Order: sequence, then C-alpha cells, then structure tokens
Amino acid sequence: MADLVSYIIRKMMLAVPVIILATFIVFLMLYLTPGDPVIAIAPPHASAADLDALRDKYGFNDPLPVQYGSFLWRLLHGDLGQSVSVGTLHVSVGDLLVQKLPRTLELMAIGLTISYTMGIPLGVYAALRQNSWGDRGVMVFTLVAYAMPSFWLGILLMMALSVYTHILPAEGTVGGFGSIILPALTLGLGNAALTTRMMRSSMLEVKRQDFITQLRSRGLPEREVIFKHALRNAILPVITVIGLDIGWFVGGAVVVETVFSWPGLGMLMTTSIQNHDFPVVQGCILVLAIFVILGNLVADMLYAYADPRVRLG
Amino acid sequence: MMLRKGLNDRLLAWKMAGGVKQTIVEIIDNGRRNSMVVVGFTIIVIMVALALLAPWLPMADPTPRTIVQDDVLLSPSPSHWFGTDELGRDVFSRVIWGTRVSLTVATTAVVLSLMVGVILGLTAGYFGGAVDYIISGTIDLFWTFPAFLLALAFAAALGPSLMNVILAISISYWAGFARLMRGQALTVRERQFVEASRALGAKNSRIMFTHVLPNCLAPLIVWASIGVADAITIESSLSFLGVGTQPPTPSWGYMLYRGIPYLEEAPWMATFPGMVLLITILGFNLLGDGLRDVLDPRMKGLRP
Repeated sequence: MADLVSYIIRKMMLAVPVIILATFIVFLMLYLTPGDPVIAIAPPHASAADLDALRDKYGFNDPLPVQYGSFLWRLLHGDLGQSVSVGTLHVSVGDLLVQKLPRTLELMAIGLTISYTMGIPLGVYAALRQNSWGDRGVMVFTLVAYAMPSFWLGILLMMALSVYTHILPAEGTVGGFGSIILPALTLGLGNAALTTRMMRSSMLEVKRQDFITQLRSRGLPEREVIFKHALRNAILPVITVIGLDIGWFVGGAVVVETVFSWPGLGMLMTTSIQNHDFPVVQGCILVLAIFVILGNLVADMLYAYADPRVRLG
Repeated sequence: MMLRKGLNDRLLAWKMAGGVKQTIVEIIDNGRRNSMVVVGFTIIVIMVALALLAPWLPMADPTPRTIVQDDVLLSPSPSHWFGTDELGRDVFSRVIWGTRVSLTVATTAVVLSLMVGVILGLTAGYFGGAVDYIISGTIDLFWTFPAFLLALAFAAALGPSLMNVILAISISYWAGFARLMRGQALTVRERQFVEASRALGAKNSRIMFTHVLPNCLAPLIVWASIGVADAITIESSLSFLGVGTQPPTPSWGYMLYRGIPYLEEAPWMATFPGMVLLITILGFNLLGDGLRDVLDPRMKGLRP
C-alpha cells in the first residue's frame, strides 16, 4: 500500500506543472490577441496620455513576468476578472462558470453512461464471435464512429431524430429531459467506439489465457467461464481508462454544446470567442483543462490500483 | 585500411537491413496485401487528385462575387450535383475546393509537428542525461494538455486565419511525435550498427539522421497518417466553431455550420460536405491502422 501512496503523490506532483502551464497559456492568450486592450475601455476621444495612464492603472505597462505574477495572484483568490460581453457585462467570470458547469457535467455523465453501456456489451460480443460477420459489423461501426467528427454526427442525429421525425427536441433545454438525449448521445457514441475496441481487444487477450482453458477443462459451463471469470479480468483495463475519456468528452462537449445550443461551458466558450470576451474564454479553458488533468490523474490512480506492477515503474 | 573497408561493407549491409529503402520496400510489399491499406490509400489518392486538379475541373466558381437570386438553395440536379447553398453557390464546387484547404492545413500542420517532434525527440533519446530530462519534461507537459483545447485557445487568441490554424494544430500535436521518436531513439541507439559507425568516427548528427532516424521510419509513417486524420478533424472543428478557416474560403467545417439552419429546407448543404469529410478522415485512419498491422504484426487486432 505504501508504494501505491507514494506513486499517487508522485503523479500529483507531476500534475502541478501542467496546471501551471495551463494558467500560463491562458494568460498568454490575452497577450497574443491582436489589438490594445485599453482601447476598449477608454472613452472615445482619449488622448495618448490618457491611454497611457489607463495602461499604467491596469498594469499593462509592467513587464510580462510581473503581469503574469499578478494574474496568478488574482487567480489564487478566485478572481478571474469580469465578462465584457454586452449580455453579461461586469458579471464575474467565476459566477458565470459556476452557473454553467452543472450543465456540462450533466451532459458528460449521461454521455459516459451511454458510452459504457453500449461499448462494453458490443466489445464482449465482438470478442466472443471473433472474425464472424457480427464482429466485422461491430468493427466497421467503431471505425466509422471513431472517424466521425462530433459535430457531423450531431447534425446527422438531429436530422434523423428531430428535424424529420420530431421525436426529440433539436436545440436548447426547453424539452426537459428529452433535450439532453441528442447531445449526450452524440458525445456518447463517439466514445462508445473507443470503449468497444478496448473491450474487444482486452477480452480477446484474456480469452486465450491459460486459466480460462483450465476453468473449461474443469467442466464449468461456458456462460460461467465467460461472464464470471473472463469478463471480470477483461473489464479492468477498460474501466481504468475512464479518466482518459474525460479528455475526449471535454473536447467533444465544446463542439456538441454548440451544435445543440446546450447552455454549458462549451457553449459559453464559443459564444465568448465570437464576442471577443476573453476573460470568460480564459476561465472556460482553465476549468476544462483542469478537468482533463484531473481525469488523467484518476486514470493513473485506477491503473496503479488495478495493476501493482505500474507502481514500481 | 583493410579493417576499415571490411567494417564499411558490414555497416552497409546493416544499414540496408533496416534502412530507408528496406522499410519502404517492406511497406509497399506488405501493404498491398492489406485491404485496409488499399482502401485507405485509394481514398487518399482520389482526394489528393481532386484537391490538386480543382482549378482545372469544369466547375462553378466556389466564391462568386454576386448572388444570383434564382440559384439560391437549389436541390441537387445535373447542373448542380450537390445543390446550391443559401447564397446560390455550387456546393459540389465548394466541397472540392474545401478538400484543398483541409488537406493543405492538415498536411502542413503534420509536417511541421513532425519536424519539431523528430528533432526534439531524437535529441532527447539519443543524448539522454540532462538534455533528455529537460526535453522529456516539456514533451510530457504538452502531451498531458488536451490537444483540442490548446488548439482552440491558440486559434482564438491569434485570430482566425489559415496560418494560425496550422500553428494552433502544430502546437498541440508535436508532442506525440516527439514522444514516439524519443522512445524509438532510445532503443535504436543501443543497436550494433550505431556503435559501429561511432567507432568509425561518425559525428553525432550524422549518426542521428542517417542511422537512427531511418530505423524509426515505420512507426513515424503510421503516426503521420493518423495525425493527418486528427488534424483534419481539428481543422474542421475549429472552422465549425468559427475560429478556423474564414469565409468566403470554402471549408467543410464552416459549410456544415452554415447548413444547420437549413437542415429541413436544404439538407444537401450539410450532408455532402459532411460525407466527404468523413470519407477523407476514414481514408487516413484506415491507412494508418492498416500500416500499423502490417508493420507490427504483434499488435494486430489487439490495440484499440
């Protein structure tokens, strides 16, 4: 157990520089953006001296490291600045994020559920019937679903289930629970392809191991051999990557929320990019990046827990 | 003198045993027999040919300056194979010209990240020690950071333009190549032919680029192929979100975005660019997956 704890601590230490990189990238964004930030807040006929005074006031004249330092200092106090969009002028970015975050989490949770409830049975099925037509069909599905950009899959689902058949609402949240199905399905299907492939290969590997042959030779029914013994071993590596899926879902959520006008962080981010509302964009990227980093950390921990060899490496 | 000549001959034999020529011969020979490689390669050849020939194909202007009211939202017909969009532009012509944009951005981005990744990964893996420590630290940082978010952040900050999209994708993608290259260099540098050429007095740079690099060619080709597919996905996603290729330049992602309000009225506006986009990504993925199976049979059907 001690080695597991030290392994986790080591991994957590590694996450710190990545989070610092995230803050630096987010800080740099404002720097790279063309245009002078004070022009936007200065009165229309401000003289050059006035502009310079404003720059001094907001610290734009300080050297880069000083500005980054004060940015980090404010960040540590939970201050992400204020929105500059017309609709949400002067609203604190932190409040906006807190308000939108549950929507994105909701979407990811349902998407993740869809991905696993689809991917695991499909993968097991394909592995048990390796090289059959059923297996080939599953593999073609994974190939296409994996290659499909999420926005295109979203549009296709929208056409099939909403525009032509009117089964589900196409956009927004007015349809209650029905509204979340399409975006969650879009997110889940792409990831299901990955889960299916992993489950299939993991099952194939376990299936040909000696202990399975041994169980069969003892006369255990095939059903018991597969579902009680093989599956339990094969599912482990698939579950441990659940943390890595978060990265996939974060990227997907930004696009999918935009397709379906789902009012979460991703949608907030794209509208803010269009409005040049950079404080909000910064906040969104930071929150989403931290999510992915934590997801990676969870994956590492689960992996080390499941496979003791990893901790020693 | 005799000894040196003998060594040279053996070196040549070793190099041939794992060198560029042999890798390429191996790829073509085994690739022909893998259906994934054949299908993927065929798709890519067709798409590249369409992209190259676009200016000479008998098609309507993809970006006309005037809107002809009679041409708006026409359904597919012999004169407009894929129909027309809300500004009366021929969707077929825009899809073909979009191929050009997509492939240019994706391949340039992959070549850029390949170059940066190979140089950094090779240096880290070959020299080891403190150099490796610093470079691998940087690689790990960028590897852990979510690629799409990084690309989105840079594209949003730099402002939308073709060059910035390429830069954004490269910044988020080079770490994958560097990681791969470092791992390969670590194993190849221990092989005998590297030791032999060092004994002959070859310079580090010569060993790195003429001996170590060619031996890492196979996995690099696999990764580059899958990388182009990823880059096309990122480019189209950025364009879909409005921070990628800017109108009126035809881009698949933006065409799909414009198609959403017209899904009921004119579904061809989104459907055709979407199909071509999917087929292209599928082509590069198939080629990459197939080559991986061919070049590394141990992994066949096992890796997700």
